[in-house]
Amino acid sequence: MTWRRWLQVILLLTPGLGLIVALIGTVVYIAIVQSFGLYNLTGESLLSAEHWAGVLERRAYGRAVRYSLYIGILSALFSVALAYPLALWLRKPFTGSVAVGAILKAPLLVHGLVAAFLFINVIAYHGVLNQFMQWIGLWEGPRRLQNDSNAIGVLILQTWKNMPFALLILTGAVQGISDDVLDAARDLGAGSMARFRKVIAPLTISAMQAALVIIFIGAVADFSFQVIAGPTNRQSMAQLMVFYKDGGRWHDAAVVGVSLMVVALVGSALLAFAARFILSGRRFR
Amino acid sequence: MGTVQVNGLQMRFGDFLALPDISVSVDEGEFVTLLGPSGCGKTTLLKLISGFLKPTAGTIHIAGKEVTHVPPETRDTAMCFQSYALFPHLSVRENLEFGLRQKRIAAAERDQRLDRVAEQLKLGPQLEKLPNQLSGGQQQRVALGRALIMRPTVILFDEPLSNLDAKLRDTVRMEIRRIQKDYNLTAIYVTHDQSEALALSDRVMIMNGGRIEQIASPEELYWSPRTSFVADFIGGANVLDAEVIGGKGEDHWVLSTPLGELVAASGTEPKSKKIKICWRPEVVQPDGNGPNRIETQISERSFQGSFTDLFFTAAEQTFRVQLPEPTVRSGENLAFSIRPQDIVMLESMQ
Repeated sequence: MTWRRWLQVILLLTPGLGLIVALIGTVVYIAIVQSFGLYNLTGESLLSAEHWAGVLERRAYGRAVRYSLYIGILSALFSVALAYPLALWLRKPFTGSVAVGAILKAPLLVHGLVAAFLFINVIAYHGVLNQFMQWIGLWEGPRRLQNDSNAIGVLILQTWKNMPFALLILTGAVQGISDDVLDAARDLGAGSMARFRKVIAPLTISAMQAALVIIFIGAVADFSFQVIAGPTNRQSMAQLMVFYKDGGRWHDAAVVGVSLMVVALVGSALLAFAARFILSGRRFR
Repeated sequence: MGTVQVNGLQMRFGDFLALPDISVSVDEGEFVTLLGPSGCGKTTLLKLISGFLKPTAGTIHIAGKEVTHVPPETRDTAMCFQSYALFPHLSVRENLEFGLRQKRIAAAERDQRLDRVAEQLKLGPQLEKLPNQLSGGQQQRVALGRALIMRPTVILFDEPLSNLDAKLRDTVRMEIRRIQKDYNLTAIYVTHDQSEALALSDRVMIMNGGRIEQIASPEELYWSPRTSFVADFIGGANVLDAEVIGGKGEDHWVLSTPLGELVAASGTEPKSKKIKICWRPEVVQPDGNGPNRIETQISERSFQGSFTDLFFTAAEQTFRVQLPEPTVRSGENLAFSIRPQDIVMLESMQ
């Protein structure tokens, strides 16, 4: 292409793409430079790495990174693992399949905060679940399920909220595999698991990677579920960032924010790579 | 013993009865083709034999063992799909080895089988390629190789040549027959192309509306069809109504037809007084001096290369005659005769 052509392409893209790049670029730039002491909102700006050094030293920061990774990875894996069998089940239309599909996708329409409060109501000390378990005689008395230390409540919420999204992506991919290809695998001796591992997963790997990455990025930066249903002895990175910001420590908050971006970027890349490496179908011939 | 026995097989899809009652037996090393129009149930029968469908009633035995409810993955059959159904993410080598790895065949045996199939099907240079880098004919050969490498008791073909061009179809057709004979495989082949069925098969099973119309050798089907459907479906015979008006000698029958009085020679008696009869367009004697003489006006002429189709109408029915080099033109008269043994008596009229 000639430079005139390049210029034409760039000018045509600028109104749409340019705006996005400018907005994201500005935010990223501000976050990075603020983490190094610039753009001080309350005092004098001074270029320095002391905020990074200070935050990285704190045990709360390390715990928040590990906890956010834990939530992000497990939420992505659980959502995709649950979505796959449902996508395979809904691959062929049957009586009521549209209704089942619609019900399964309903959580997409419920806001996260609303879902978290509903969930809290269900698992509360005198909530529906506790009363039901006592009624059927499995539990003698009510149990404390809220804000559990292993964040199982958060994982359930994340999976509940994100599984429909994974289902949406995977259903299309799974429907793209022809019946003949699956029948051929069967005809050649592949049982259900072998068919999944050697044919279905490799042929839907791109959709699976997209689902894993998008869910991971959302879950790793979770704030609302964590605040309402998460453990009280740990903070997620988003929660820590808000904690610093609320204390007026904008530079420390920026350090956590930039870390969160790096964790999301590196983590999603690793997750996508691992998925392709494990399920490309060629290693398991 | 690669025999296939199907007894009283019935297949129902909801209210629709696809196969009411099918019984057929295929011998070891035999090549049987299921032929019929779209929707006649031939693919359904093939899917029942391969295990992809479960019959509503009846049994299937392969090599003497009952496999009616055995899933396809553990059934000793291999299928060649119409769409080839190659695994797009795997190379030709991986496609060919897929089934062997599933059956946990030892590496040495696997390599040996792969080399043989690759050599036989001339796939050596393509082994590392992905299916989308192959031509249609090459993909078809990979699909065939993937089935053959399993050395199944029975190999099943579901219209495997329908996506190939005419020239390639002829080549692959011969290849399939050669390999089937080399391996002495029992083969069941589904097609709606009658020339493919006649060229390939030891026996052809003509299906219509889920029922078997006739199962016989290609020659027998062509020259001695039992029903007007078979006569018309194979080679487009001239089928017409007839009434038996008397016998003539031991095995000759006088018939009243829209073309006039005709004499048919047959080893068997007509099934009733009112029957259907047929004669092939190419059996006519152009001199018109023999028995069953017919004189008519040609309405249409169609040159086909080695022969020419001539059409005429009688009693609101169009008939076809084939002659090698006819001089007659449209609108001119033609006289020809039909030997009594070339007139075939079919089923009773409804």
